[in-house]
Amino acid sequence: MNNFTYYQPQSVAQALPLLENRWGRVELLAGGTDLLDRLKEYVSTPERIVSLTAIEGPFREISAIPQAGQPPKVTIGAGVRLVDIAESKLLAPYPALTTAAAQIAGPQIRNMGTLGGSLCQRNRCWYFRDTHIQCLLKGGRKCYAHEGENQFHAIFTQGHPCVIVHPSTLAPPLIALGATAQIVSPRGNRELPLEKMFQAPSKPDQREHTLAPDEILLSVTVAPNLPPGTRLANASYEVKQKVTSDWPLVQAAVAFAIEPGSQRARNVRIVLGHVAPTPLLSPEAAQELEGKVVTEATAATAAAAAIQGARPLSQNGYKVPMLKAAVKRAILLAAGFKPDWE
Amino acid sequence: MAEGWPKQRQVLGSKVPRLDGAAKATGRARYTYDINRPGMLHGVMVRCPHAHARIKAIDTTATRKTPGFRALTLIGASRDVVITAIDGNKLTCTPAGKKKAPDERISIEVGEGVTLIKNLKVVTLRDIQPGDRVTIEAEQWVIGRELFYAGDEVAAIAADTEEHARDAARALRIDYEVLEHVVSEDEVLKDRKKRTVPAPSNFTEAKGATQGDVEAGFREADAVVEATYGVPVISHQCLEAHGLVAEWTAEGGLTVWASTQATVSTAQQLAARFGLPAAKVNCITHYMGGGFGSKFGPDVQGFAAAELALRAGAPVKIMLDREGEIVAAGNRPSAIGTVKIAGKKDGTITAYAVDCYGTPGYTGGATVNLNLLPYVYSDAIANWKRSHAVVYVNAGAARAMRAPGHPQNCVLTEFAIDDLAARLNIDPVIIRRKNLPPNNPKAPPNSWAARRNTIYNEQIDIALQLSRWKEKWHPPGKGNAQGPLRHGIGMALHTWGGFAAAQPNECYVIIGRDGSIIARTSTQDLGTGQRTVTAVVVAEVLGQNPASIITEIGESRFGLSSGSGGSTTCPSQAPAALRAAQAARDDLFKKVAPKVQADPKDLAIEAGKVVDRKSGRSWTWKEFCARLGMEEARGRGEWSLGIANEPGNENISSGQVGGVQVAEVTVDVETGLVRVQHLVAVQDCGLVVNRLTCESQVAGGVIMGLNYALFEECIRDRATGRQLNADMEFYKLGGLGDMPKITVHLQDMPERGVIGVGEPPVISTAAAVGNAVFNALGVRVPFLPLTPWRVLQALAQGGKVS
Ligand SMILES: Cc1cc2nc3c(=O)[nH]c(=O)nc-3n(C[C@H](O)[C@H](O)[C@H](O)COP(=O)(O)OP(=O)(O)OC[C@H]3O[C@@H](n4cnc5c(N)ncnc54)[C@H](O)[C@@H]3O)c2cc1C
Repeated sequence: MNNFTYYQPQSVAQALPLLENRWGRVELLAGGTDLLDRLKEYVSTPERIVSLTAIEGPFREISAIPQAGQPPKVTIGAGVRLVDIAESKLLAPYPALTTAAAQIAGPQIRNMGTLGGSLCQRNRCWYFRDTHIQCLLKGGRKCYAHEGENQFHAIFTQGHPCVIVHPSTLAPPLIALGATAQIVSPRGNRELPLEKMFQAPSKPDQREHTLAPDEILLSVTVAPNLPPGTRLANASYEVKQKVTSDWPLVQAAVAFAIEPGSQRARNVRIVLGHVAPTPLLSPEAAQELEGKVVTEATAATAAAAAIQGARPLSQNGYKVPMLKAAVKRAILLAAGFKPDWE
Repeated sequence: MAEGWPKQRQVLGSKVPRLDGAAKATGRARYTYDINRPGMLHGVMVRCPHAHARIKAIDTTATRKTPGFRALTLIGASRDVVITAIDGNKLTCTPAGKKKAPDERISIEVGEGVTLIKNLKVVTLRDIQPGDRVTIEAEQWVIGRELFYAGDEVAAIAADTEEHARDAARALRIDYEVLEHVVSEDEVLKDRKKRTVPAPSNFTEAKGATQGDVEAGFREADAVVEATYGVPVISHQCLEAHGLVAEWTAEGGLTVWASTQATVSTAQQLAARFGLPAAKVNCITHYMGGGFGSKFGPDVQGFAAAELALRAGAPVKIMLDREGEIVAAGNRPSAIGTVKIAGKKDGTITAYAVDCYGTPGYTGGATVNLNLLPYVYSDAIANWKRSHAVVYVNAGAARAMRAPGHPQNCVLTEFAIDDLAARLNIDPVIIRRKNLPPNNPKAPPNSWAARRNTIYNEQIDIALQLSRWKEKWHPPGKGNAQGPLRHGIGMALHTWGGFAAAQPNECYVIIGRDGSIIARTSTQDLGTGQRTVTAVVVAEVLGQNPASIITEIGESRFGLSSGSGGSTTCPSQAPAALRAAQAARDDLFKKVAPKVQADPKDLAIEAGKVVDRKSGRSWTWKEFCARLGMEEARGRGEWSLGIANEPGNENISSGQVGGVQVAEVTVDVETGLVRVQHLVAVQDCGLVVNRLTCESQVAGGVIMGLNYALFEECIRDRATGRQLNADMEFYKLGGLGDMPKITVHLQDMPERGVIGVGEPPVISTAAAVGNAVFNALGVRVPFLPLTPWRVLQALAQGGKVS
């Protein structure tokens, strides 16, 4: 890796002035499980590293506020480690999130990696990560994956010059749960729905997220607002080739409210992971399930709707049926069905 | 005829934990990676980023100025010469040591970018005169050098830290002329005239053989199946990368700490390269983190480390990084074959024809073991035809990998057998039994040839029982479904040699007057348990506990030994240890008997003591050894294939084994995921020396085979020619959670002597898993690894086998 100057500010306020308004020369460091790889491979060559590791307080904490008749409002600091999300009692009402966190990579990564790092990590496309290949995101002229080895790439590809998949498995469940992101910059604080924090990059001055280069993600808040009297159902399901230390091939996260008595699903949100350059909300699938009682059949219909717009590449057509299975299974799991696939 | 294995065995065949287990588990064991010498420099390799290129220009100026830089050597830029004339800074020379082309004149101007080495020292013009033999490395000699794959070595650089070495490497300016490349076999098949490799073309015409009348065999059959099967190129993925630490001694000798499967040959190769007497080079490999056939010598980076150490006057460590390890340090070649197989309702295979090809990378030979196709059954199948074509691509060259050629053979044969069984509507076990090679009644009674049919049949019986085959097998695709899960079971057979090595293997045993016992051998323990095996054998003969034997292994100066390849180590070294221990015992008796007024012939060893059978007297081991006085007792043992073949020695070591494996899987038909639930491995390995490490070898082989079946594949990009998964992220290797229950059954046959077991258990696992997936789905997934995408694709296409 190149030499760099290392800063370890004690607070977010101290960190902000160290950032710049363009990408490249400065990198924030959290757990380092993504950044260090990029530095060692010379994929990222910052001159300054601003470590977030000395920042204490809410940045590293999970806090919950009870809401009347609702699951609690939970705020997770960006500096919270993946293992602490996986094991959090406060997050117990949100298994979509905790099971997703528990499945990331292996214990070493979960013990170091953070929420902020998971949401802001860079993509794992092997063309992007090879220092000898100049892809679109590194200022090159083409996306090699379009005609190359694309078995792990996007299947929702329309309009995307770069066909990476977004790497975070925490983003889909958080978006399904309607999470918001709290962001700070020298211009002050802002908040936005988490799904708005992601974008499909296609050039060197873009990241997989919409944060400005001088912004820091502070926290993410989950605060469901369910129709009165309903209960929250949520789950995430991912297909991984290996049990540990592997990336999902596809992921589906779902959240909906279940009406007492009728058992109908309301306020359905379905988010697809690892199939598009961003975590992908599927209003089509959600609409299929909206107002229905979850059964094998209704789950399958919603799953079929989820794959409608897929335009797979030469080698990843397999992801289409696989995604369909994942959406169906996530819905069934959320509704409390006993899995018959284990 | 040598004295054989003890008839009453105390330690042999029992379960002895690895002597170095605790040292390894606690990190006390020092591998090559852990060796740090005073003043040691760190070296890195500079590799060509292009799949095929020629060096147009090179500029090392910036590199030489980077902080911490100490030495640089360009690969392929040095020549050994004899100086014929010196004119100012202009040298005229002839190639040294070459009888041919004595007229060749080399002239070179000595200046920047030219290094002169004489008598293992970097020298200047002033130090040389006509008639001197010197090594010249000249930057300009690298111009025009052709590089054949992304990862091909260009230079090696040493600096004071690893980071500085990397910085220096990145500062090296090399101008490449980028040439046309090919990295996939099918591109070569489309244009067989292509030439992007050293051979005259990327495609070499097929070689093969025929037996019987294949067409008649197809005609007389009740069913014929034709299909194409294939296995990819995979990497050895040694957990400890290739590499060594080189240190020149004050006396002009060379010590290397190498991660190698061959201490003696590594030392010899280095000695030859630097013109040293072999005795002045010591290669040390006390602990070793896996080689699997890819680590038989110093390699490019090992020679470079020694070269850099010489130039810098300091020890140099070069261990490959993971990318270098995967792209440059060998691989198991691919094999893709169209197979036509025919059989009768009773299971007789009437004909088998295979037409296959594969790639060993940019250079190398056949990618299957062509002489053993059809695999295992060739001596029973009357009519067969086989052919294989080598396809060169711009990728690192293949090296031997655990049972070279056999896993490929196994898939190309065993997949076809199950497909034929399905067509004939019979249990594939019927075909296997029906076509087993016959016993040869004329062969020596304990030999493989005399017993192979019986051994295989017994193994199949055991495997059927341990896997509960009768209750679990169902016609392909007809099992019970649980939700999206389908259950399947499949079998495959294998064979291997495992004889003693052709080269001599020595072991020395020294008994001290304090009763301590040293077992010393230059052989290396790759993680196989060889150290413990040596101790077990010596302990058995001398009535001791293996843990009390002091093992000194893994240094070339300890005597002769061969490289650990072909599963030859245990069958060479265990008998050498046996003979050394017996000789030391005899020496002990000879030296002490007069002092205790006994006849050596009457003395015998029992657990922890020596007894005089005649008088009934006995001494504890320590008491007895104390009588050595100022002496010690010594024994040397030697073993080799030649000695093993002497009449009467066949009970000490022999070779040729069989094995049967059964895999049980579940396949999720919605996601394409294959999970192996249970793997039964039945293995013949003659006399079991240490049951624990032997079982562990089998389990380890199975684990490697499971990875071959499910995960491993070198993925090379057509456009850039680069391997995209030269890492452990997308080059997938299963973890504990991916491993099934593994049941190992060793078929103990002490009368066959010691036979090596390192390679056989890796062979049939993937074929068994592939057959189990076929049994689950009723659809053949023809190419390994059995990834979700291949499974889903096969299901979508209905897996048509014509
Ligand atoms: C084998 C393997 C498998 C994996 N599988 C998964 C998986 O299944 N799902 C998954 O989600 N992840 C997976 N990961 C990735 C892992 O989750 C990430 O590496 C980790 O979450 C990154 O967190 P970190 O704190 O270490 O980030 P760092 O490496 O420290 O930072 C990553 C990036 O985020 C930026 N960043 C960090 N914090 C902030 C902040 N507060 N504000 C703004 N920017 C910030 C940094 O600048 C940097 O660019 C896997 C990794 C490996 C190696």
